[in-house]
Amino acid sequence: MSGLRDRMNRLRASAAGMQPAQPASVVHSASVDALPILPDHEADSYPTDIQPMKSTHLAEPTSLSEEADNEEQLHPGWSAFGVTVCRNEAGSYLIRRTLYPLDHRHGTHAVGELREAAAGLSPFHPAAGDPAPESILYLDLETTGLGVGTGNVPFMIGIGYLSGNSFVVEQTLIRHPAEEFAMLSDLQKKLRNYTYLATYNGKTFDWPLVQNRMIMNAIRLKDWSPLHLDFLHPSRSIWRNTLASCRLSHIEEERLGITRTDDVPGSLAPQLYFQYLSDGDPAPLEGVFRHNESDLLSLACLSIRFGWLLQEQIFRRIPYPEEAEELVRTGLWLNRMGMNGLPETLYDRAIRHEKAAPSPLLMLAASDKKAGNWERAVLLWQKAIVQAGAQFHEDVIEACIELAMYYEHRTKELESALAFALRALERHERLTLFGQRNRKHQSDQDSLRNRAARLRRKLDRRGIES
Amino acid sequence: MNRWTGRAANLEEWLGGLKANESIMENVTHWRTLPPREAKFAPLPEDLHPAWREALRKRGIEQLYSHQAAAYDAVRRGNHVVAVTPTASGKTLCYNLPVVQSLLQHEEGRALYLFPTKALAQDQVAELQVLADLMDSSIKTHTYDGDTPPTVRSAIRNSGHIVVTNPDMLHSAILPHHTKWVKLFENIKYIVIDEVHAYRGIFGSHVANVIRRLKRICRFYGSKPQFICASATIDNPREHAERLIGEQVELVDNNGAPVGEKHFVLYNPPVVNKQLGIRRSSVLETQKLAAMLLKQGVQTIVFARSRVRVELLLTYLQELIRDKLDDRTIRGYRGGYLPKLRREIEKGLRTGEIRGVVSTNALELGIDIGQLQACVLNGYPGTIASTWQQSGRAGRRMESSVTFLVASSNPLDQYMIQNPDFFFGHPPERALIHPDNLLVLIDHVKCAAYELPFREGETFGSESLADMMEFLVEEKVLHKAGDRWFWMEQSFPAHNISLRSAAQENFIIVDMTHDNRVLGEVDRFSAPTLIHEEAIYIHEGVQFQVEKLDYPEKKAYVRQVDVDYYTDANLAVELKVLHVDKEKQSGDLLRQYGEVTVNAKATIFKKIRLRTHENIGSGPIHLPEEELHTSGYWFSFSEEAAARKSKNEMQFALLGIANVLVHIAPLYLMCDPFDIRVVPQVKAVHTQRPTIYFYDRYPGGVGLSERLYEVHDELLAHAKSMIVSCGCLSGCPACVGPIEEVGLLGKQQALELLQEAGAV
Repeated sequence: MSGLRDRMNRLRASAAGMQPAQPASVVHSASVDALPILPDHEADSYPTDIQPMKSTHLAEPTSLSEEADNEEQLHPGWSAFGVTVCRNEAGSYLIRRTLYPLDHRHGTHAVGELREAAAGLSPFHPAAGDPAPESILYLDLETTGLGVGTGNVPFMIGIGYLSGNSFVVEQTLIRHPAEEFAMLSDLQKKLRNYTYLATYNGKTFDWPLVQNRMIMNAIRLKDWSPLHLDFLHPSRSIWRNTLASCRLSHIEEERLGITRTDDVPGSLAPQLYFQYLSDGDPAPLEGVFRHNESDLLSLACLSIRFGWLLQEQIFRRIPYPEEAEELVRTGLWLNRMGMNGLPETLYDRAIRHEKAAPSPLLMLAASDKKAGNWERAVLLWQKAIVQAGAQFHEDVIEACIELAMYYEHRTKELESALAFALRALERHERLTLFGQRNRKHQSDQDSLRNRAARLRRKLDRRGIES
Repeated sequence: MNRWTGRAANLEEWLGGLKANESIMENVTHWRTLPPREAKFAPLPEDLHPAWREALRKRGIEQLYSHQAAAYDAVRRGNHVVAVTPTASGKTLCYNLPVVQSLLQHEEGRALYLFPTKALAQDQVAELQVLADLMDSSIKTHTYDGDTPPTVRSAIRNSGHIVVTNPDMLHSAILPHHTKWVKLFENIKYIVIDEVHAYRGIFGSHVANVIRRLKRICRFYGSKPQFICASATIDNPREHAERLIGEQVELVDNNGAPVGEKHFVLYNPPVVNKQLGIRRSSVLETQKLAAMLLKQGVQTIVFARSRVRVELLLTYLQELIRDKLDDRTIRGYRGGYLPKLRREIEKGLRTGEIRGVVSTNALELGIDIGQLQACVLNGYPGTIASTWQQSGRAGRRMESSVTFLVASSNPLDQYMIQNPDFFFGHPPERALIHPDNLLVLIDHVKCAAYELPFREGETFGSESLADMMEFLVEEKVLHKAGDRWFWMEQSFPAHNISLRSAAQENFIIVDMTHDNRVLGEVDRFSAPTLIHEEAIYIHEGVQFQVEKLDYPEKKAYVRQVDVDYYTDANLAVELKVLHVDKEKQSGDLLRQYGEVTVNAKATIFKKIRLRTHENIGSGPIHLPEEELHTSGYWFSFSEEAAARKSKNEMQFALLGIANVLVHIAPLYLMCDPFDIRVVPQVKAVHTQRPTIYFYDRYPGGVGLSERLYEVHDELLAHAKSMIVSCGCLSGCPACVGPIEEVGLLGKQQALELLQEAGAV
């Protein structure tokens, strides 16, 4: 063996000498299966000047007493944060179960709101009817790596569900990779009790990974597949431009009133687990348990928020968005989910918004144009121009072009059309002065000139005809 | 002859005319006519599915060539197969025939096709799709590579019967995500590996390990696929395929495809300076011959050895035939052209619209361009196998064809052109791989562990699995639990491992005087001595000075200058023998094979005045030392031999022999000349005697030196005959090297020493 190490060291020295620049190209040339979106629940940093979370948020885990007599080999460190052994015919693994009473508040929502809010989630899967609160399983994994390759192992599987008068957070952990089979065998049995799988990016990350692991352990899942409630995509639709990041940790802070203290960033979880594997000391993993637990609670609250939103409980249960951008984006998302009433209220607010930026107005106008709602579209384009003021906003050019097209083709008011076309052209030329002269810019400008010229010809012809 | 156009009626007639053309014939060193060969047919197999039979009939196939039938038979008997198939012998049917047959019988079956490049994969899919349509069957063939849109990937994973991909994609996308490919791996019946000869050297060693991983995954899903390989003509197709896939294979090499008469003409450009052994540029001579052919209306392919030469030849030829033909009928073809453009050119060649093409070896592989009539090789392609492959591009079944090999002044070319019997009489080279190269092996063990935990008792390559596992546990990438080792690391190992060695990357030379155009390339091993800062780099007779060498980015920036000196850099090479694995004493000569480390560092350069060769200055070179741990082979002369020569004489003799050997060694290896190095030492540290070392220029070695150790006697005999037959007076670049390098008596000294060494 030492022979092999020596040989490797010698060879590596030469390999390094041979390749002074590690080929960076290797990574992208590999063009892997649609690259998984990085798990969003990996936070960068958290504010630390906030009240301790333990007192306000997390309940104490309830120990599973029936397992107590089997704990002879369990490291005493585990019991400090309520972890016990779970055994089945396939082996053993660790479990930590925490019960929250329904009135437990996590940020602005109480977990019990799920009882009523759950039904609101039906537009995610209209054919399946209103989701029963007990049919939703919340899932969040802590894994040894990134991506959904076969070597990425979820060492901790956190699930949450409503049961009786509690919201239950159940976290399982494997002490070493050989325990995975036992853990997954039990998970597979639990899954059947649920219809919906609520996650944050679980459609592309958590669930495919669970599927991987089941296949790797030869456990059949074939007859069960979940209806996904993946809140990453709606969150992105709504908050893409209003929030600095669409990570769960950021959204919970900005929109769910949740603050964490002493949180272990999810990105550190693999390191901490590897450390545990090498020294067997459970203590550092407490932070990972708590982080995962918080993620599950936040996820539950996020689902409550979306449930209320879809039940048009805005203003009563959740506040109106403040910015026009978020108002419009929320409305458009609700439209896509098949809702029609509430979006109009949101749009009205956006249009009346004093500080509305041009871009959400244009976004809404585009949707109106598509739907044939010309009246409001025209209003929005005009408002976009007004809101932009003296700024050299490219949005103004777009609005002018839209209006020019509208007047030319729909109302045949050629003078107005020409006026807007010229206005767009003038703005566009000013951008050129400011240094924009790439090919696309040039061709856009040419087509604006053509448009103006065409309108002039049409006007001339009309002059002759009349 | 057509009186009006001056064109010959056919190629035969034109060749007849050529034989009477003295200005050409005086440069022809050899003209060999290979007789036509009749087709050997075999009936379609009895058990062929009726739909399949009918589809083949619609494609005009009523019977098979003998090798196609033999391949089908061998596959149906359940053996792994390698079929040796020269260019245009209908090789795809060797594997499509049994694969499609099986898919028609078992619709749930799956097959995986591997091609070395994406372009080849595209051709296959098109062909198979046509066949499936003819049968009105639901057999679906898809490519799965970097260009496959994400939206269709999942459909391909689940429902593609035949998945066509490349080893890189298998390595980095399919195997590490095998759980998404359950359908494929559970039902896989065949793995087709086309162009197996392309998987050699370090690339082949990597691919052999990817195949080990592939087999491991198949075992996990309970399948045991059969391998069907196709190879160009090489010396060791069966051994090579067996090493590549790690299984016993049945060899099918009874090629039954017909071949028309073939003229093979060796052409040596005239000597313009006898003393220095300088010949007329092979580019100009190639251009002359190609232009003659094109003006006759003969559809011609020209092969050149670098991208730059392709462009050069293309420009010349397009200018030359401008009055006669539309210049879009002569096209270039090389890597770097966009796929769409390539498809267009391939199609133009098939339809005959394009009359001439100048290509790198990109067209050597089995891309379908139909059969042309003439082939002009600008320089010896480097291996006998490649030469036959390229020449095979010309040759229609019923007509004559001609291939011209235009030699450059490089010694290997000169050897080939002066020794036609070596070329015509020798089997093509052996494809060598070394899958157990420890560096390569460990890389793939990591990938394999990521894909599936290793279990005690498993094997992977010849190294002890337990040792490798223990090593990787210490490296903190694996964790042992129970009897298994699990991947426990955040990274995705396949991302950091490229199958195609980065060491093969070239340095690009950028001319700052002319709008930063790319002037040429230099291989990375020559870079420290050729394009260090302040070096004078000569390109097509014009001098450039290197102003900046961006070593990490592999770019040299040069500016045109006009000076009366050139530069010569000193490379200090230190060679240590770590372990001797094999040795043999024959006469005065001791030869050994084993592990070596090589430290090379460019130290200083000298400025040497043109013509007078006086030293007019020098400067240091600041480039990192390169250390290489690899395998090597060396032979040393006896002390008596050493005593008979002065140290200086010995130096020249050894240098001369080394110069010859470095050029002829590739004759025995299927490798790039830069893959193997030769170092002469008057008094080697290891042997204390005059010694010549060879080593593989890749960490851990790829088996090249080992092969040379085996053919040692033949190698020395060749070196001797090459020196003897060279027409120069006392050394030239085509044999022992120029006088400036080996001295006035270098040629004689080298010959004497070889004689003492017992070279016959």
